[in-house]
Amino acid sequence: MAGLTNVLGERRSRLDTSPLRHLDLVLVGSVLAINLLGLVMIYSATRNGLAGDTGATYYLQRQLIFVVLGVAIMAGAIVIDYHRMREWAPAIYVVTIVMLALVITPLGSSTLGSQARFAVGPIAIQPSEFAKFAIILILAAYCAVHRGDLGGRHLITVLAIVAPALGLVMLQPDLGTALVIGVIVLAILAVAGAKGRHLAVLALIGITGAVVAVNLGVLKPYQVDRLTAFLDQNGDQQRTTYNLEQSKTAIGNGGVTGQGLFKGSQTSLGHVPEQHTDFIFTAVGEELGFVGAGLLLVLFGVVVWRSWRMAVLSNDFFGTLLCVGVVAMLAFQIFENVGMTMGIMPITGIPLPFMSYGGSSALVSFACVGLVANVSMRRFS
Amino acid sequence: MTETRLRLSIVGVVIVAVFAAMFARLWYLQIASGSQYVAAAASNSYRTVPEPPLRGRVLDAKGRVLADDRIANVVTVDRRISDTDRDLVVGRLAELLSVPAATLRERLADPRVSPYQPVPVALDVPIEALTYVSEHAEDFPGVKAQPMAVRRYPNGTIGAHVIGYTGEINAEELEDAPASERYSLGDDIGKSGVEQTYERVLRGRPGRYEYEVDAAGRVLRTAERVRATPGHDVQLTIDLDIQRVAEQALAEGLASARLQRDVVDKARFTPLRASAGSVVVIDTTDGSVVALASNPTFDPNAFTNGIPTATWRALNDPANHYPLLNRVVSGQYAPGSTFKLISGIAGVRSGLVTATSTVDDQGRYKISDQVFTNDGAVVNGRIGLQRAMTVSSDVYFYTIGGSLWPKQRRGEAGGDIIQETARLYGFGRATGIDLPNEAVGRVPDADWKQRIHDARPDAFPYPDWLPGDNVQLAVGQGDMLATPLQLAMAFQAFVADGRLATPRLVSQILDADGRVVRTLPAVDAGRVPVPARDALLAGFAGVVGTDEGTAKGAFATYPQQPPAVGGKTGTAQVAGKQNTSLFVGFTPIQNPRYVVAVVAEEAGYGSQTSAPIARAIFEALNGLPVAPVVAIPPAGGN
Repeated sequence: MAGLTNVLGERRSRLDTSPLRHLDLVLVGSVLAINLLGLVMIYSATRNGLAGDTGATYYLQRQLIFVVLGVAIMAGAIVIDYHRMREWAPAIYVVTIVMLALVITPLGSSTLGSQARFAVGPIAIQPSEFAKFAIILILAAYCAVHRGDLGGRHLITVLAIVAPALGLVMLQPDLGTALVIGVIVLAILAVAGAKGRHLAVLALIGITGAVVAVNLGVLKPYQVDRLTAFLDQNGDQQRTTYNLEQSKTAIGNGGVTGQGLFKGSQTSLGHVPEQHTDFIFTAVGEELGFVGAGLLLVLFGVVVWRSWRMAVLSNDFFGTLLCVGVVAMLAFQIFENVGMTMGIMPITGIPLPFMSYGGSSALVSFACVGLVANVSMRRFS
Repeated sequence: MTETRLRLSIVGVVIVAVFAAMFARLWYLQIASGSQYVAAAASNSYRTVPEPPLRGRVLDAKGRVLADDRIANVVTVDRRISDTDRDLVVGRLAELLSVPAATLRERLADPRVSPYQPVPVALDVPIEALTYVSEHAEDFPGVKAQPMAVRRYPNGTIGAHVIGYTGEINAEELEDAPASERYSLGDDIGKSGVEQTYERVLRGRPGRYEYEVDAAGRVLRTAERVRATPGHDVQLTIDLDIQRVAEQALAEGLASARLQRDVVDKARFTPLRASAGSVVVIDTTDGSVVALASNPTFDPNAFTNGIPTATWRALNDPANHYPLLNRVVSGQYAPGSTFKLISGIAGVRSGLVTATSTVDDQGRYKISDQVFTNDGAVVNGRIGLQRAMTVSSDVYFYTIGGSLWPKQRRGEAGGDIIQETARLYGFGRATGIDLPNEAVGRVPDADWKQRIHDARPDAFPYPDWLPGDNVQLAVGQGDMLATPLQLAMAFQAFVADGRLATPRLVSQILDADGRVVRTLPAVDAGRVPVPARDALLAGFAGVVGTDEGTAKGAFATYPQQPPAVGGKTGTAQVAGKQNTSLFVGFTPIQNPRYVVAVVAEEAGYGSQTSAPIARAIFEALNGLPVAPVVAIPPAGGN
């Protein structure tokens, strides 16, 4: 009896002392809720089958696998002490760079005009998604060391670290991911203490770089068209603003309470291109209306708020910068993605975290939230 | 640490702003402008495809088909295909259908077909070719083979001006059509004749399919189908047999006149041009139009599924004398001596002459320094109303016109009794026939002359109604203008004892099952005075049946002698042109049943061309053998 009590007692005490007792259930719960909604909306957008494939649940089944894998990776990112990851950061980053370099060789495969993925059997791996995670890790590690001293040499070092990843992503070309990386870099530098004028110059260079990329033909013409469509929304509807018009129509068709789940005409008839991936928000907007889409934004708000809070509460600066990187990544992706579906941001191929169909994006988003939860629960140790 | 807190706060503020922006935009799209997008979503998901109704038939008085729809196998090409595809398709279709590629190209370039509608490039395609196109759709981008309703006029040119034709609705017609009629581009619409005036009856109600479609335009299901209601049949008063004779007689008469010389021409070297003419046959009992022919004519089948450009040009070339023009209702001519019906009645009404009084016809009539003579200055001596009509004495009627002038000059009552009588008999206004573009003609008087002078003093320097004007009017010359239909109706009123009818072209409307849905009764157009009717009738009978009658020669071969026909010849001078040849007659003489009016442009004397044409039609009306029409060389007299 005593032994049994002892065993139970030991167990309790191990749990009591484990950092897991401080797991941010609000953050994880919100993420899981968003993923659940994402699965439902992917099913809604694809259940009538997309051109030339498969049954009603093909995309749902695949995304379900990604979510399960993602939860596992999140668990891993929570369990492994983030301070250990700090040591792995350079290695992870180098592997990422190599993958980014390989993907633009004939080893990679091309879809929708950009060479961004490895086809491994039925699964496509997008190194650029993993690059976001790797950059958050390595910049947080570097900047935490050089906190408050990010003028001159260290700033140049930061840029030198980021440059190969950014350059390789631009070569795919994948402007959206490049923008996300740029925002992550700016946010981490800003919080780590870079000077305001340096940040302003960097932002300017980033914007100039994007404009040059558009004008010098680095991007495919369709990417430029999509990108600039939001500037002229009354333009030629048949061509470039078609995506945008269909997207706004679907969202507008939702009204206050939506057309009802699986009842949206635009969603079930496939009027919105790429609806299960980049335009998944339109399915929410049409079928669940202002109430549902607003609730989704609130859930995203909670995730971003919990992450930002962790940046504030972290007991070390590396943890703070990790959370800042994740906050920047999530907030920018949400704003860019939701914004483009509503015509207030240019159309770039950025997935909506936890919602859009796609394995790499799901895994990386889970890993990033795992990092935040990791920082959160270890702030007391 | 406080600095980091500050920097983190700034990041927080940016994030709050970004989320606020998203909420604001979401509110704007879904709540502030929701209905706009709801409408856009609805039109995104549904396609409405109109289903044209089967057009009603046009039938003759005995129920014979003059126009109907038949189902034809048609190959159409979507004009929005690329130039490369177009070349490909034209080449393959030309081979498959054994049609010259140039013809196909011309059809595809036809500016009169809307660019949004597939162009029918070949009608009555053999079923093998149809199947081939359907089974090799990938080789024929934009090409469709389908059965289609095609308008058919089984009698070709016969009745063309009455029936009219249909064609694709043009932008102007689309705009003018009431919205309730639901016309859309590519629909056919009646363009002339009864096809035009009875468009609403013939067309029916278009139906529509409402399809739910996906983003690729694939039809998912039929959301709604409103069946098309077929149009009603229109039964005309036209008798196809008489119509056929009328058209043939008219064509023969004009052709034969062209072989004769214009005797008015001093050198006598000019042949008659006889470029155009028209015939109308009226049933005097109710004003029904038994036949209506205009020459040159056209084949309404040519318009089916787009008329070839060359044909269209030919129909509009002045050298071809406008075959599309319906001269019975749109042609305006000086009526010449046929107008003596009116001036004779006016003379009796005014008391200037009676059925038995006489006028001394010395071949000339002089009024205020002006001298008017009979044709050929023939002297008829003392002459009464009946004989004045038979021999067509101008002096008799000059006298009436000239004697009325002083009263008219003074503005006294009865001074304008010729004009008044003309108006009572329907001149100067539309008869109200159910055909488009009816001209009203003109009854000239002092007011009119003053009006045109005021409007254009340079072109019309004399504002006063002169004696000569009234004298000329009395013999249907000068500024008097009438349509052939007005002339026919005036004689109809006379022979029907003063009951002026409205020309009746449609007797009834039938539905698709042959049930009568509407009967169109005869419409009275008023009572007209018919004094000295017996003398006039006898005079008109004499024109045809006595040796001194002006139309004696034309009726010499008539199977019945004397013919049971009365009538009046007319020869009208036209400035710069050869004389207009006219004849208006009726049969039988007692209680006449039919009136026939014939007008031939630049065809010489009335007795020369128009009377022989009328003769053939009278033969047909009386069930007699119809002899070919040959123009009669003039022996003098008008």
